[in-house]
Amino acid sequence: MNAMRTLSCILAFFALPLAGPALAQDKPALTVGVIYIGNANDYGYNRAMKDGVEEMRKNVPGLKVLEAENVPETAESERVMSAMIAQGAKLIMATSFGHQEFAERLARSRPEVSFVHAGGWMLRPNFGTFFGATQTAWYVSGVAAGLMSKAGKAGFVAGVPIGYVIGNVNAFELGARSVNPKFQTRVVVTGGWSDKVKEAAAANALIDQGADVLTMHVDSPATVIQIAENRGVYSIGFQSIEARQLAPKGWITGLGFNWGPYMTETARQVIAGTFKGSMVRQGLAEKMMVVAPFGDSVPQPVRDAVHAAADKVAGGFTPFTGPLKDNSGAIQIYTGKTMDNSQMGQFNWYVEGVIGRVR
Amino acid sequence: MIAVLIVATLAASVAAGTSLLYATLGEIVAERAGVINLGLEGVMLAGAAAGCAATSVTGNPYWGVLAAVLAGAAISVVFAYAVVDCGANQLAAGLSLLFLGLGVSALIGRPYSGAIIHGLPSMSLRAPLEQGAAVLSVDALVLLALPATALVWWALSATRWGLRLRAVGENPAAAFAAGCNRRRLQYQAVLLSGACSGLAGAHIALAVAFTWAEGMTGGRGFIAIALVMFARWNPWAAVAGALVFGGAEALQLQLQASGLDVSPFLMNMLPYVLTLAALPLTGRAGRLAAPAALGRPYTGVE
Repeated sequence: MNAMRTLSCILAFFALPLAGPALAQDKPALTVGVIYIGNANDYGYNRAMKDGVEEMRKNVPGLKVLEAENVPETAESERVMSAMIAQGAKLIMATSFGHQEFAERLARSRPEVSFVHAGGWMLRPNFGTFFGATQTAWYVSGVAAGLMSKAGKAGFVAGVPIGYVIGNVNAFELGARSVNPKFQTRVVVTGGWSDKVKEAAAANALIDQGADVLTMHVDSPATVIQIAENRGVYSIGFQSIEARQLAPKGWITGLGFNWGPYMTETARQVIAGTFKGSMVRQGLAEKMMVVAPFGDSVPQPVRDAVHAAADKVAGGFTPFTGPLKDNSGAIQIYTGKTMDNSQMGQFNWYVEGVIGRVR
Repeated sequence: MIAVLIVATLAASVAAGTSLLYATLGEIVAERAGVINLGLEGVMLAGAAAGCAATSVTGNPYWGVLAAVLAGAAISVVFAYAVVDCGANQLAAGLSLLFLGLGVSALIGRPYSGAIIHGLPSMSLRAPLEQGAAVLSVDALVLLALPATALVWWALSATRWGLRLRAVGENPAAAFAAGCNRRRLQYQAVLLSGACSGLAGAHIALAVAFTWAEGMTGGRGFIAIALVMFARWNPWAAVAGALVFGGAEALQLQLQASGLDVSPFLMNMLPYVLTLAALPLTGRAGRLAAPAALGRPYTGVE
């Protein structure tokens, strides 16, 4: 994998002078600086960002990309971004939630540089925010789980139950219930995004309690998916669709972020001088969220049903449409009301059918 | 229902307890020689990263185990030099070792994060229960855990080497007068403890998580230090301690999975509350059992 990437880099280097006069000039069309919170090869969040950057690099000729991995969500990130600007970066992509305030502060003092940040809310003329509309897309994973599970029980390993994670769990359960009205989703909270021993024990516990489909919202899905595979139950991934390689037998499908088109478009806007900071939340319709390729064990009728669900969500359907009860039986969304994408961080209740507590 | 809970918790306590036990055994040896090593967490991480790297490169997890043991011992050399040769403050040196381990492991592990590695071969023992059937996964390191405990116990209590090592931990000046080589014994103890922590890291990476992720040991190095006191520096009691802590962690996750109506935040605290509650119980007796010269740099002449 790595060797192939290195090889392609070397080939690209030698191919550069052949690519015509547009690329022959010394000065790149645009220098982009990208910072990652973790390792860009984690089969999860960072890998998805990295894949998007690679697509942008391919699509925009003459692009120079500066990358820094393991950039903490501290003032250190501001120093890294400053250094990138000093090296000529005119577009900065800060890809982790906690990079927000540091990127925004830098954006204030550097109006000539454009910034985009993943998952926040701050906006300036030269500072935009982008993220996938994950919650509605999780509905599709739920449909897949509901159709594949024999026991009618899924296990969900959650890092920390913040509103967005709860929303993902809820949409998953609602999707599963749409095809199996008795479906249960059991949630186990590990209390961290990367405590691998607990993730392993949580995955095992969920299988012990009868779940035959596992899914997760933690930094890297590798441990949960491999334990599901070892114990012969199904798995559904999140964040990077490449995780399917970890479970050749039990992989059903998963949701991945597809940042490439957005990043490409942003780079083109900056080159053209038309960039304006805005809030971008896109889902399955705009292909910022994509449904991963199916595993071999998934029969055609299920694939068709999952595609149909994805089309429904892409067509504007939201699973958070009243009447909706929480798992204590109280009505949370009344008939005729819906929750939209901007409210997803506010969840503090699980829908009916989820076994677990938020606090 | 209850049967599943009990069996599954026992099975999971073995999985989580094995790495704790190895780290605790190593720390017992080091502390018996008078050296307290707060950097176990960093050493475990170094072992986990080296284990993943070697397994990924060679395709054989047993090379990974060997690499983890060597990495654990190697990184501990720095610590041993500081505290044994230079008489540095052991607490400060241990914490430095922790951060060194964090950094080194991140560096070693970087290319292998997310790499597909084949973990230690294991045998699955299934409980004949109706639900998902709890599985006890037995690998080589689980099998060797009790023999290793016996070996450490025997070496410490029944050999000349163990007697001298303990003498150094109790009263280095007297031990020196009796002809013990304090420096060599403490080096041996610290390196052995490093190797054991490396092994603990290897078990987490290669038999539990099947991957490398930064900081993946999640504080277990510190739990091992607490377990040493809980076990009163006795290897056999460490087995009980490791199983109880591993079991408490497994139990709270099992309870969450079973749908018990208790806050997940409260349940995540359970293992640590248990550890805190157990320590005062061993308080007075613990002080008596502690090696008398534990943590004190040797100031005498040699």
